[in-house]
Amino acid sequence: MRLEADDALDRVKGALGERVTDAHLNHGQVDVTVEPANLVEVLTILRDDIALGCRFFTFLSAVDRSTFNFDDDNEQGGLEVLVHLYSPEKIWHVNLHVPLDFDTPVCPSITGVFKGAEWHERETAEMFGIHFTDHPNLVTLYLSEDFEGHPMLKSFKLPARSYVKDWPGAKDPDEAAAGGR
Amino acid sequence: MSKTERTLEEHELIQRIEGDGQGAFVESYDAEAEVMTINMGPVHPATHGVLRLFLELDGETVMDCKPMIGYLHTGMEKECEDQNWRGAVTIVTRMDYLAPFHNEHAYSRAVEKLLGIEVPPRGVYIRMLMSELNRLTSHLVQFGTQGLDMGAMSAMFYGFREREIITDFFEMVTGLRMNHGYIVPGGVWEDLPDGWQEQVANILDVMPGRLNEYQDLLSENPIFIERTRGVGTITAEECDTLGVTGPIARASGIDWDLRRDMPYEAYDELSFEVPTQEQGDVYARYQIRMAEMVQSVALLEQIVDQMPDGDYKNMDPKLTPPPRSELNRSMEAVIHHFKLVTQGYAVPKGESYFAVESPRGELGAFVVSDGGTSPYRCHVRDPSFYNLQSLPVMAKGGLIADLIACIASLDPIMGGVDR
Repeated sequence: MRLEADDALDRVKGALGERVTDAHLNHGQVDVTVEPANLVEVLTILRDDIALGCRFFTFLSAVDRSTFNFDDDNEQGGLEVLVHLYSPEKIWHVNLHVPLDFDTPVCPSITGVFKGAEWHERETAEMFGIHFTDHPNLVTLYLSEDFEGHPMLKSFKLPARSYVKDWPGAKDPDEAAAGGR
Repeated sequence: MSKTERTLEEHELIQRIEGDGQGAFVESYDAEAEVMTINMGPVHPATHGVLRLFLELDGETVMDCKPMIGYLHTGMEKECEDQNWRGAVTIVTRMDYLAPFHNEHAYSRAVEKLLGIEVPPRGVYIRMLMSELNRLTSHLVQFGTQGLDMGAMSAMFYGFREREIITDFFEMVTGLRMNHGYIVPGGVWEDLPDGWQEQVANILDVMPGRLNEYQDLLSENPIFIERTRGVGTITAEECDTLGVTGPIARASGIDWDLRRDMPYEAYDELSFEVPTQEQGDVYARYQIRMAEMVQSVALLEQIVDQMPDGDYKNMDPKLTPPPRSELNRSMEAVIHHFKLVTQGYAVPKGESYFAVESPRGELGAFVVSDGGTSPYRCHVRDPSFYNLQSLPVMAKGGLIADLIACIASLDPIMGGVDR
């Protein structure tokens, strides 16, 4: 009972209607854009609708598109939560994009729909600084409690990459600071 | 007065654990309720890596179990963003370090989807050859450590003996025993060396007999059965909500294998079975892995028989460095080589997800490209991360000794969990 990508897209549009702002095909998978307020409702429909059957939760993560090289120079990217699901019976994938406000990123927790998302949300929260409301236990997963910053944001530079050592063979200070280049 | 404060006063054996700052993870003993809270790990011989479990014990019974991870977190996903598309292969291969080929495989397929390129048939078959051999090495380690944790130390020696022949073959082909960086976007990095058939034939000669030996060693062993039957059960529904895949899900009756159900490479041209069990306990998971090794050997025989000739990687000069002989003659080849080494190739804008069936379950890579020469974002869905989340479900209500059996049967790879 394999569901072809075009049919899947039609069904998604039919079942979700106004709740999604955009739906299109991307490399054989359905890409859907959802506002945070509608996320839980949309996921519940995708999981419980027999015609869609996306009951398998693949992963939840986020992308920081603030330095993304858009085609349109005026376009400014922000934070986006990604949720990937697929249907084991109908064999089709759906990828949900949830655009968030960059300065105060808040997203509803999906642990009520998919229990397996608990660790994912904890990881995403500490890595991207996203707050997941209604999460049962939103404490850090990988990082220590006193870690400062959110490492996966593009503004977080790895110390090993951002600091260039002074070039010891330099004759004047400018040359040394530029690492001999 | 809170429970913790009272016990602090009453008992001097209480010890505060550094670094949590929450006060919730304090080792303590409540004399009234006879409940002891204690840390297992992060460094413990039975936790298979730096896994820390916070246990609440009533005598020998596990009342609660909280896995605490992050001791091996090195920010590999962030590191990928600083590499070029080829270089990121060397990072992802280090995530699930017992299944390096599967990591590379998932990542390379996701990038190939964005590039819109095909892999030549020989490249496809070499990928399957290495993946199936890798499944054998990974399951052999699991077999050995499972036996070791159950007190059957000889299983460890046997498991590693066979693994050694296969890692020798990996070394012969890729130059490395682990973390090969061999499967790259476009195909594989090198062709198989001369004499590979004899090496694989040797492995395939030895394996079926040895697998039977293991069956005699553990499968019918009354002590082993006593320790594993009905221990650490998990139902199919629990597997589904937690995203558990691979041998653990198949041991609970979920008939799902990406190689058969979403065929990639040329798995649809090969015939194999997907073993399943219904019990969902430690013994069922052990049996699934044993049966999977038999299937892998059957797959390997077909792969060797059908190995096609021809190119082993996509020969597009914009993607693959030219052969050494070309560099002496062709100016164009030198330019391509220079561009590839200094910058790498650019990948069209977009994002894609691709998953392969690793020894531990669905291993997927999600990559985003902004049209540049390095991944904009690379997220890896590692099966150990999901499988470990199910540990509390398995361990609650059991004995500490059963918990050890559960961890061994989960086969978590902390490099993959923490990434």
